Amino acid sequence: MMQIKPILAALKRHKAGTILIALQIALTLAIVCNALFIIQQRVDRLSRPTGMIETDLMAIQNRWVGIDDEATAPLVKADIQILRSLPGVEDAVSTNSFPLRGGGWSMGVRLNPTAKKPITQTTLYFVDDHALPTMGAKLIAGRNFRADEVVTIDPKVFESSPVVIITKALADKVFPDGSALGKQIYITEGAPSSTVIGIVERLQVPWNGNFANKFEGNSTLLPIQLSGNFSAYLIRSKPGQLASVLKAAPAALFKANRMRVIPSERGVRTYADVREQAYKSDRGMAILMGIICVVLLAITAAGIVGLTSFWVGQRRKQIGVRRALGATKHDILSYFLTENLLIGIGGVVVGAMLAVGMNLWLMQQFEMARLSPVYVIAGVIVLLLLGQGAVLAPAMRAARVSPVEATRSV
Amino acid sequence: MFAYYFQLGLRSLRRNPILTALMVMAIGFGVAASMTTYSVFRATSNNPIPQKSSQLFAVQIDNWGPEDNDKGEPASSLNYTDSIALMKAHKAKRQTALYPVGLAAVPADANLLPFRTNGYAVYGDAFPMFDMPFLYGGGWSSAEDDGHAAVVVIARSINDKLFNGANSVGREINLDGHNYRVTGVLDSWDPKPLFFDPVNTSGFDDPVDLFIPFTRAIELKMSTNGNNNCNKNPGDGWDAWLHSECIWAQFWVEAPSKADVDTYRQFLQGYAAEQQRAGRFHWAPNVRTRDVMDWLDHQNVVPAESKISLLVAMGFLLICLVNTVGLLLAKFMRRAPEIGVRRALGASRREIYGQFLIEAGTVGLAGGLLGLLLTGLGVFGVSLVFDPKIARLATLDASLVALTMLVAVLATVLAAFYPTWRAAQVQPAWQLKSN
Amino acid sequence: MLKMTHLSKVYRTEVVETYALRDFNIDVKEGEFVAVTGPSGSGKTTFLTIAGLLETFTGGEYHLDGVEVSHLNDNARSKIRNEKIGFIFQAFNLIPDLNVFDNVEVPLRYRGMKSAERKKRIMESLERVGLASRAKHYPAELSGGQQQRVAIARALAGSPRLLLADEPTGNLDTQMARSVLELLEEIHREGATIVMVTHDPELAARAQRNVHVIDGQVVDLAEDPRFHAHVAQVAEATHGR
Repeated sequence: MMQIKPILAALKRHKAGTILIALQIALTLAIVCNALFIIQQRVDRLSRPTGMIETDLMAIQNRWVGIDDEATAPLVKADIQILRSLPGVEDAVSTNSFPLRGGGWSMGVRLNPTAKKPITQTTLYFVDDHALPTMGAKLIAGRNFRADEVVTIDPKVFESSPVVIITKALADKVFPDGSALGKQIYITEGAPSSTVIGIVERLQVPWNGNFANKFEGNSTLLPIQLSGNFSAYLIRSKPGQLASVLKAAPAALFKANRMRVIPSERGVRTYADVREQAYKSDRGMAILMGIICVVLLAITAAGIVGLTSFWVGQRRKQIGVRRALGATKHDILSYFLTENLLIGIGGVVVGAMLAVGMNLWLMQQFEMARLSPVYVIAGVIVLLLLGQGAVLAPAMRAARVSPVEATRSV
Repeated sequence: MFAYYFQLGLRSLRRNPILTALMVMAIGFGVAASMTTYSVFRATSNNPIPQKSSQLFAVQIDNWGPEDNDKGEPASSLNYTDSIALMKAHKAKRQTALYPVGLAAVPADANLLPFRTNGYAVYGDAFPMFDMPFLYGGGWSSAEDDGHAAVVVIARSINDKLFNGANSVGREINLDGHNYRVTGVLDSWDPKPLFFDPVNTSGFDDPVDLFIPFTRAIELKMSTNGNNNCNKNPGDGWDAWLHSECIWAQFWVEAPSKADVDTYRQFLQGYAAEQQRAGRFHWAPNVRTRDVMDWLDHQNVVPAESKISLLVAMGFLLICLVNTVGLLLAKFMRRAPEIGVRRALGASRREIYGQFLIEAGTVGLAGGLLGLLLTGLGVFGVSLVFDPKIARLATLDASLVALTMLVAVLATVLAAFYPTWRAAQVQPAWQLKSN
Repeated sequence: MLKMTHLSKVYRTEVVETYALRDFNIDVKEGEFVAVTGPSGSGKTTFLTIAGLLETFTGGEYHLDGVEVSHLNDNARSKIRNEKIGFIFQAFNLIPDLNVFDNVEVPLRYRGMKSAERKKRIMESLERVGLASRAKHYPAELSGGQQQRVAIARALAGSPRLLLADEPTGNLDTQMARSVLELLEEIHREGATIVMVTHDPELAARAQRNVHVIDGQVVDLAEDPRFHAHVAQVAEATHGR
């Protein structure tokens, strides 16, 4: 540790090798930091709960054929009756959308009906009194809808509902003092208000893209069945009977009315499939970044081993001289470890700056979040340890060089 | 001399198998990572209609004003009023408003279940505009547009399904309970990305199955199967919605020359100014025309995943190259005594350059072969990261194979320049001493 | 100061055993200047590496400054090399990456000496060899004689009790060789013990005492016929030039 100055002096004579290793460490740090950060963000996202009990849950997406939009309401009602009476089915609900479906309806929420800008966004789930038990969403205040509150409305004329159930996230945003229950909110500019009659702990919006990050927990449930040729059914099976319901439900629907389309892809899915498909690219991205990190670290380590081995090979003679002049094996080992540490420190200083720069650029281009310094620090530690680990084998080989090498002329 | 150097290269590579393996692996991995991600990027940034991409323009008109538009950028869709006004004005060589419709085809055979189709409501101009190839028949006339005719152009796949591939021109199909007469059957046509509607699709969704007249779709009150955006409550019912400022239609024009585009832009400017004078717009005209590639870029058709992973992969390749420079330096300088002797025996600097660059090229070639193998695996595995609709576009074709080898060899030779320069600086000597 | 009794060094390979030293006896007193001579391959360099604790030996005993060294571990041997022994090599063995000052500093660093003390000693020993003005130069910028004088400065800086020199003038021309030799004599006069290995009889003659090694053994000069043969050989080689 006393030898930093002479090591620096010696490194100055081997600029190319030093710069190459430092550069490699710097670039690796920059990429690994950002990749780890991307992994963490994606994992964070895909481990978000929907607020529903996802086991024993499935979804069917249905579209009517050759039936006027206004005439679909009784058909949907019939479908729901069929589904609820199927053996193995616990409950079922018809809705315009559901968490992670991908498409849905969003509106701005206001406290003042004429305010130009809404306070926040919310998604609207058009459901009935069976929604909460079917979804398994937890009501933490107020009450569920009553069957007599449920009405059918044409989406073209929809404006609002007298009563709504909202999520805690939305309630806290609009009423930060926690007094949402019983209050009035406006979900359409200039339309009548809605009374908050219940609050659920959590219910995610249908979207999982970046644009929905700001309101991913803001959902509003309305006791309204929309007419129209599309509807989605959420079905909760009795425990363990999902597999049989998965087959029985679409068969029963077709038996009742064949003028419908249930797409072969994504028409009938367990909720586990819905989740898997929604987060496919997030998971893939995390895996890809993971692979890249591992391979990158391996390549950098291999590079350090390669170059250090070469240096040791080139310096056998001077190692022998040092040994002859009284250096212990430990002195030689620590010489190479210190040398690598110095190069590593140079590399990580540049690398940390590159990492932050790269993140800033990604933020600008892809709406990425700001890199937390924890990742840079973690990356710095990982790379310095990696360097020390990689240099250990060649350094030990150097320590084994016999002092008698000093007397050999070649 | 080339063969001799190549031989020397191979021998030298065999001499330090570990160092060689490290380099080959570094290049292989680096090239494979960048080529795999490039294959996806290439597919997603593809020009779907190269012969006409600079003559087709997407039109934007700001009907929402500075308070609701996106930082001054007009929305990506038009409302019905503007779409119809532009169609009526007929100022371009060809033009069409369009929007996606989700119709179910009902087979005549009562034993078969109805199935869902991907359709578009368009004007008859769309077929020649977008260079759609016909297997049978053709598009419909402007008279049929004006008459809200119940006609349809179907894709080959639908024709195969409903008519077993026979010429179905003149026959009828049932869509959502209404009959349409087939005027034409398209030959295989599946532009990727689907340039005329990146707003409502990812650009890489399933192929379009059929086209019906825009006017017919409106008459049947078919609402869009895509996005509908309103800046204020449109009011109750179909008519209120249709004539609101809600936006949901795409508008395309064909303008063969630069002058045509300018003329059209002036017309748009004038149209918007007129709307301002009429009191509908309370802001200065704000219009855009973007050609196909601009439009795809503006709509971010290339997924962020594709750009980020390409970027990361490029960084990866760069690190692998830095690594290679280091290892080559080690490898070449270890042979300084040999170089000294070669120089003493009369090798010129130039010949040292030749020898070592060819040796590096050999490493690159080996790295390229490994890279090719890994790229194959990578292309196979991209469905892990990307939507399967996009993943299936990434293929290891001849041009990618050639590019992989080229990048591997070029990159390695490039990486070898500095180590080779250092090697060439070794003075001629009989020295076989270390230090 | 340095005493070897019945010392042997055997190099073993799978097929053969080669005795580099056999029943080797030598006793160098404190303050002596001894030249060890002998033909190449006679074992004189092996003797020097063992004397300098660069290598271990196979049998016999070696007392250095009264300590039996065969039981010492690697660290203890490093410490003795560092504190008690100074080396001067035929090929100078300066570290090319370090400048003159840093080269002389190397053994002092390993001794854990304070910076001010190190600096003082380095400058003293560089002045001693007349190269204080070249402290910032790199070895490659110096002549052979200058390099060897730096090596001597490096050996002196640690004030060793024993100076081991291996053909110190072997790579130098006559004039430089003479100045290096004068330097050694001067150091000796100041009280250092010097053991110098050389095959040059002229150089050996400058030492107080000569020890001759042939076939790994110390031989009596006057009686051994092998020595006479060697002298004849050297003479022939010298005149032949």
